[in-house]
Amino acid sequence: MQIPIIITSVAGILMILEYFFPMPDAVTGFNVTLRSFVAIISAAALILGTVVLSIFHVRKVGERKSEWMYSIVYVVSFVATALLGLGSVRNEIFLWIYSNMTSPIGAALYSLTAFYITSAAYRVFRARNWSAGVLLVCSFIVLLMLIPIGAILLPPVVPIGSWLRNYPSGAGFRGMIIGTSLGVMGLGVRVFAGRQKEHLGIREEKVGEQ
Amino acid sequence: MDSFLFGLIAGSFVSIGAYSVLIGDNPLSKFTEHLYTGILGGYIFATNWDYIRSNCVNNIAQGQIIYVVALALSLMLLSRLKPEWVWMSRYPVALTVGVGLGLAIRTTVMAEFLSQITATVLPLTNINNLVMVIGTVTATAYFIFRTEMKGAYEYVHKTGRVFLLAAFGVTYGQTVSFRFELVIGRLVDMLRPEVIWYTALMLVLVAAGLAYGYRTGKIKWYSGR
Amino acid sequence: MSIVDKLLDMDQRIIYALMFIALAFPILFPVMLPMDIQDYSRQAFDFADGIQAGSIVIVEGGLTAATYPQGGPGLVAQIVHMLSNDVKLVFFSLGTEQNVWTATAIEAALDKLPAGVSAENGVDWVHLGYVPGQESGVAALANNIRSVLNVDYFGTPLNSITLMDGVNDATAFAAVLWWGGSEGSIPWGVRQFVTPFGIPMTGMCTTNEVPNYTPYINAGQLQGLIGGVRGSAEYEYLIKMPGPALGQAMATNFGGLLWAVLVILGNILYFVKRTQEGG
Repeated sequence: MQIPIIITSVAGILMILEYFFPMPDAVTGFNVTLRSFVAIISAAALILGTVVLSIFHVRKVGERKSEWMYSIVYVVSFVATALLGLGSVRNEIFLWIYSNMTSPIGAALYSLTAFYITSAAYRVFRARNWSAGVLLVCSFIVLLMLIPIGAILLPPVVPIGSWLRNYPSGAGFRGMIIGTSLGVMGLGVRVFAGRQKEHLGIREEKVGEQ
Repeated sequence: MDSFLFGLIAGSFVSIGAYSVLIGDNPLSKFTEHLYTGILGGYIFATNWDYIRSNCVNNIAQGQIIYVVALALSLMLLSRLKPEWVWMSRYPVALTVGVGLGLAIRTTVMAEFLSQITATVLPLTNINNLVMVIGTVTATAYFIFRTEMKGAYEYVHKTGRVFLLAAFGVTYGQTVSFRFELVIGRLVDMLRPEVIWYTALMLVLVAAGLAYGYRTGKIKWYSGR
Repeated sequence: MSIVDKLLDMDQRIIYALMFIALAFPILFPVMLPMDIQDYSRQAFDFADGIQAGSIVIVEGGLTAATYPQGGPGLVAQIVHMLSNDVKLVFFSLGTEQNVWTATAIEAALDKLPAGVSAENGVDWVHLGYVPGQESGVAALANNIRSVLNVDYFGTPLNSITLMDGVNDATAFAAVLWWGGSEGSIPWGVRQFVTPFGIPMTGMCTTNEVPNYTPYINAGQLQGLIGGVRGSAEYEYLIKMPGPALGQAMATNFGGLLWAVLVILGNILYFVKRTQEGG
């Protein structure tokens, strides 16, 4: 267990030292190699994800679980697309299937949130108290600012909305950016010190435990 | 019919299948979702394998033996498929997390911590600068500090909360517009003059099919709440 | 059940249907209205316009199927703008989906180039392709391009591409144009290109992410931001190349109005019900 923790710490600290201090060429070259390895491992991780999903669907078909017929659709489309792509990722049919089947469905699924957000706004978005009121008024002004007809119906929303976005909202987000950057730095120190091992699947130690 | 037009029509059909989920889960929407994940899974599999082949396997073939280590680490990741071998996957994960965190931290200090603080040091000569300084300080305090809310700090906390609420309200307004743009983007292709009648025909067929399914009880009708 | 309760308990599919009509109507029957140019869009345009002829610029193409309708027209417009100004472009993407859409945008831009503008693959532009690893991939690319890529999107070895002669890290680039879409990746560009190498950068993001990046603009880390379909429409307008984005920007009118009406109605009904219940 110690070796993966040491790998994390050494890799991370080398990346940081390289940035702030002049390093020998051997160290810089080693860092370039490490980054290149991480890109390859990341690609492998995505392959792993698709394999895990495929195994899930194959098992569903094999065990005839609920709605297993749809899993056949998954398996057939996965195998067909993967085989075409393994031949060549520039294969015309491979790219056509991707552009004209997956892309429109993905765009449509992603756009479903427009309907849910409107329905939720009608049901739930209430000025129940001053906090909700601030949220409601700011979102109202900004949405009217963004749609061209808003500027015609209520001209003041443009300068007010622009000011809200640049200053109060900008200040709020700046606070969040500073806060999260401190959090990232704190997380890094904990991970490199071996105190946080969740990324290795190990629950954090409690104080007093070995 | 050329492949571009055929593609638009096919895209329109599958989009209607995806949108049919708004009425409630039905066989067409489930078919479309599984088709989507299957094709996308195959696409991701093939393109990432192509990357590994071009930038790792080919490097090894050209004599850069060090890339054998990268290939080995990638294969060790696949050990997650067998619970007894999961320990092997910790090595590539450890490397990825270490490098990623190191790269993020080393520039976060400058880019997101110091730069943002420097940008907040403004002369308090106009209302905008005042708002920016007070807003940043109080919002950061709200985010970070866990001091008991007493005395002056209570006002700092409340002020920070107002600025964060303003930020979330602005984001919500922008998000609503963004969601509409997503639908419009899809509808623009589905309602093109050369495609609109195919779209209308598909809509009629889907509506008829679903109506038949609901009437005969073959498809479950969900209440609208 | 009173009318107030009936309206509050309305089947949400009615709202979905109304939304469909509100969004489809202006596409079928376009209504053009005057539209101001937002300050961030103008800043992004002015920055891009000021890039010296002959410079090499790196472009992150982060648009997907969902976000291409919003950002695609703007990206196409900017590619035409840059190539027309003799600025060389090096593209890359951080996702497999984004990779394809970047190639689509390049192809669309090449079709729209004015006669006489040079746009040869490998000489005036190159699409490096997919770089995995998210921020780690960006850092690796910024520090040593050939450590993460051997061939471009079309399979051509980088060492045989004229434009890539002597180009192996961020120092070769005069600017960064980050078309991040909804990736949330603009901070990666700021952290891995702007801060370590001092290379100026503009960004494009979807409308919902604009407030997230205002602090970077205020701090001078981003030289402008193109936000969503409206930003794309504004860019098309500024380079005097009318395109699909303006129509889409106009189409948000009815949807936005419907949302506003529903929120007002919902609040009125809520307060009426609260009054009736003596709350």
